Amino acid sequence: MNTNRRTFMTGLAGVVTLASTSISFAQGKGLIAIITPSHDNPFFKAEAVGAEARAKELGFETIVLVHDDDPNKQSQLFDTAIARGANAIILDNAGADATVAAVQRAKDAGIPSFLIDREIKESGIAVSQIVSNNYQGAQLGAEEFVAIMEETGNYVELVGREADTNAGIRSSGYHDIIDQYPDMVMVAQQSANWSQTEAFEKMESILQANPDIKGVICGNDTMAMGAWAALEAAGRNDVLVVGFDGSNDVRDSILAGGIKATVLQPAYRQAQLAVEQADTYLAKGSTGLPEKQLMDCVLINADNAADLETFALGA
Amino acid sequence: MRTSILFSAVATSIVLGTAGCKIVKNPDPNATQETAEQQTDEARMAAYAREIWDAQVLPAVAEHLVPLSDLRTALAKDVDAAGAAHGMRPEGEANPWNFAVSGSGVIIVAKTASRAAKLQLDTDDDGKADVTVQLGPVVRGTAIRDAMPFLDFSNFRDQIEFAKLAGGLNAMAHENLSVPEGDLVGMTATFEGVFTYKNLTSSPEVVPTALSIGGS
Repeated sequence: MNTNRRTFMTGLAGVVTLASTSISFAQGKGLIAIITPSHDNPFFKAEAVGAEARAKELGFETIVLVHDDDPNKQSQLFDTAIARGANAIILDNAGADATVAAVQRAKDAGIPSFLIDREIKESGIAVSQIVSNNYQGAQLGAEEFVAIMEETGNYVELVGREADTNAGIRSSGYHDIIDQYPDMVMVAQQSANWSQTEAFEKMESILQANPDIKGVICGNDTMAMGAWAALEAAGRNDVLVVGFDGSNDVRDSILAGGIKATVLQPAYRQAQLAVEQADTYLAKGSTGLPEKQLMDCVLINADNAADLETFALGA
Repeated sequence: MRTSILFSAVATSIVLGTAGCKIVKNPDPNATQETAEQQTDEARMAAYAREIWDAQVLPAVAEHLVPLSDLRTALAKDVDAAGAAHGMRPEGEANPWNFAVSGSGVIIVAKTASRAAKLQLDTDDDGKADVTVQLGPVVRGTAIRDAMPFLDFSNFRDQIEFAKLAGGLNAMAHENLSVPEGDLVGMTATFEGVFTYKNLTSSPEVVPTALSIGGS
């Protein structure tokens, strides 16, 4: 199926070089499927946009799909990608365990997968797994949090979705720093499943039970936005909030004196890099790089927030 | 699937192989008897860090050791060339260089009461601190792990396990230090250790693999 398609495309390209009605047809590199969680979270949208833009620049056609963090839906999307004869899959997955089978199925069908943002719990199935150095990033966020809390006070942690490795690793990075300060006291730790609305609701009830909090550290920016909205609604603009991702929403909040800090994951570049590695792999049979690659994160606060745009730090 | 089983088998046999050698050569009373599966990530990686410390980590540091003053000159001239000549880093885009350095300097600040204890040294005789030596037990960063050419993220289950390995190596660094009591300011500290390069203006935050303090 794959080979036929490629032969056909190459043949076609040879015949219609002069016509060149479509750049992707002229270059004939084939199809890349880009599968991410819902674009409601701008982080995942930036990934999809970054991957799609780079794929088109390199001469690929693209299909962009969302799995909404549902492993069953993700499985169906893999079937779609396989049926459409995709040459490669760029994936931000729906679960470290549940995704292994889908990526294996694509591999068995001759389609290499390039993972971004989230890992899966097996090596040797995907070609690349490019993830942010969440532990390093979480330590940066925690150091900033401890500094603005002046090393003392009650705080709340909002954790991400449990099935996602990144929720655990960020929490672990936070606590490896914060727990070294005996006067920092965690009065509540709850999962808000990466969700803004859930974070809003959780924050409201936590605040009722614990009015004496000084700070909230969140596993991602959408939860930070939800928590901040709840705090503002309760007239608690004094509470220090720190997020993780580096979204434009949180950037604007930082610049307006709301949320205090976040940690930038280079999501846009990461997605582009995955496409570049797919391109290299399809051409040469190898990326020349190890499967699992970490990309360092950067602390964002009032000092550099103005330079942040769509998950990338400008000059 | 078969490939992944093979990979895990290879990874396991490397770990076990190293562990086996170490125990024969130098029995460790603290070595745990539990099998790998029964341990938490933290305990397993702490044990692994202990196994590789003398046999692999210290030799890798020694092999790449460069005097800090020479490195400064090289970095000022050309960061990439200095990195290629002396640095260590995992493959992949935008990974920072890690350097194994030796040096000595006068202690300007000694923050020894903190859990994140550190010394700030003046190594170029201008009266200003230009190197931080992290004493721990809280040691920032993953410099030692990332500097080791034989530690590949692909061979670890996920970031959590890999992070615990970094923590285990930092703990080994801390464990092997002996810092004298009392006021250290004004004394001379001589160190070897690893740091992650940020830029020319940031002073290195060295995780020491050797440290001696004395004299003034």
